[in-house]
Amino acid sequence: MATAGGEVTCVDFWANGFGMRARIALRELGVAFRYVEEDLRSGDRSELVRRMNPVHRSIPILIHGGRPVCGSVNILEYVDETWGNDGGPRLLPRDPLQRAHARFWADFVDQKVFSTQTRFLKSKGAEKEAAKEELLDQLRRLEEVLGDKTFLAGDEFGFLDAVLIPFSSMFHGYEQHGGFSLETECPSLMRWVRRCKERDSVKSVLPDEDEMYELHKKWYGISE
Amino acid sequence: MSPPVKLIGAFGSPAVHRAEAALRLKGVPYELILEDLENKSELLLKSNPIHKKVPVLLHGDRTVCESLVILEYIDETFDGPPLLPADPYDRSMARFWAHFIDHKCAKPFMLSMWSEGETQKESMKESKENLAFLEEQLIKRKKRFFGGDSIGYLDIAACGMAYWLGVIQESAGVSLASGEEFPALRRWAEEYTSDEAIKPCLPDRDKLLTHYVANIDKYRLMVKAPPA
Repeated sequence: MATAGGEVTCVDFWANGFGMRARIALRELGVAFRYVEEDLRSGDRSELVRRMNPVHRSIPILIHGGRPVCGSVNILEYVDETWGNDGGPRLLPRDPLQRAHARFWADFVDQKVFSTQTRFLKSKGAEKEAAKEELLDQLRRLEEVLGDKTFLAGDEFGFLDAVLIPFSSMFHGYEQHGGFSLETECPSLMRWVRRCKERDSVKSVLPDEDEMYELHKKWYGISE
Repeated sequence: MSPPVKLIGAFGSPAVHRAEAALRLKGVPYELILEDLENKSELLLKSNPIHKKVPVLLHGDRTVCESLVILEYIDETFDGPPLLPADPYDRSMARFWAHFIDHKCAKPFMLSMWSEGETQKESMKESKENLAFLEEQLIKRKKRFFGGDSIGYLDIAACGMAYWLGVIQESAGVSLASGEEFPALRRWAEEYTSDEAIKPCLPDRDKLLTHYVANIDKYRLMVKAPPA
């Protein structure tokens, strides 16, 4: 199934949370793809990345029939529109209002949560404490979005789950770094994490949490 | 019959214009509720508690925030000419460039206008590179608009380029490009801003210029502040 329109390649790095979104989405919709690893630890981007994403030189990049799609949320929408069909699973809800809400919260994750978690990991002292509180607030906000639903937008795993679940691979790191327990702070979100991790798509993409934290410690110069 | 549409907006906001442009192109009547952003209403704070920003679309009892999210909601909900292209790849390109405008263009442009010294110089260089990317995209399409023969999602998303860029440069006394540069963008800006559906929801130029001149000290301070 699912190579209509040509071969599919995903250029990504194993520890890239944004790229995990794309790889989870492709697996959810049963799209066969070739994975090309770009080592983000090296300073320079490869010729492939520079050619396929000259504007940002970032990953993930989805290449379909030779044409690049860049931007993780953009890729999710493209994957849904190209391979999601009426008979099978879709990533985005059908209703326009629910779609708008999913897109709004995806934007919230990218605009707020990502920058807060980066600041939390990089900073020290009072700034770190402030960022920690902000991050926990944001995770609690997302818990409210979840409410008593199974997945973030309803009964089915979808777009917004794919957007957020990669961050969970850093949860162990957040706990070590901040000295708190997410089971205590956000218990229902953690139940959602476990539900997501039962899925083959998520299981096969999410990296080991210790390895994620070790890598981020190096990247951000965090010492215990 | 569709429930009433209200839009919470504020004078001079390109993000608000995006929502108005989309509603007008679809022929959807709406009530515009103008906010004083120095003194935000209960309605705004209740409708957009996360960001407390405009625009907010109120469609019956539904609330939609974030201008690009609003554009897609309008496109999917109301009849009328489609704003996004039909083909998934073309849609992904439209979304890519809209995201580029909001996330890569906005900050260097503001720094070009309101910072000084080395920061300003580098920001101006980056802004021109950004404009060159958009110029290239327009030339590639060989059409009047980013959306083709008629105005679409990306034209609306790029409204800041079409109208606000000129006004802000004038208010700050900073010119990013000479009259010869970026001819396709200049032609497109003229087409966009003179369109019958678009013109009525562009803020008055003199009033907008006055607004930017009056607030310039605030903007200069704002670009000095560390990122949120």
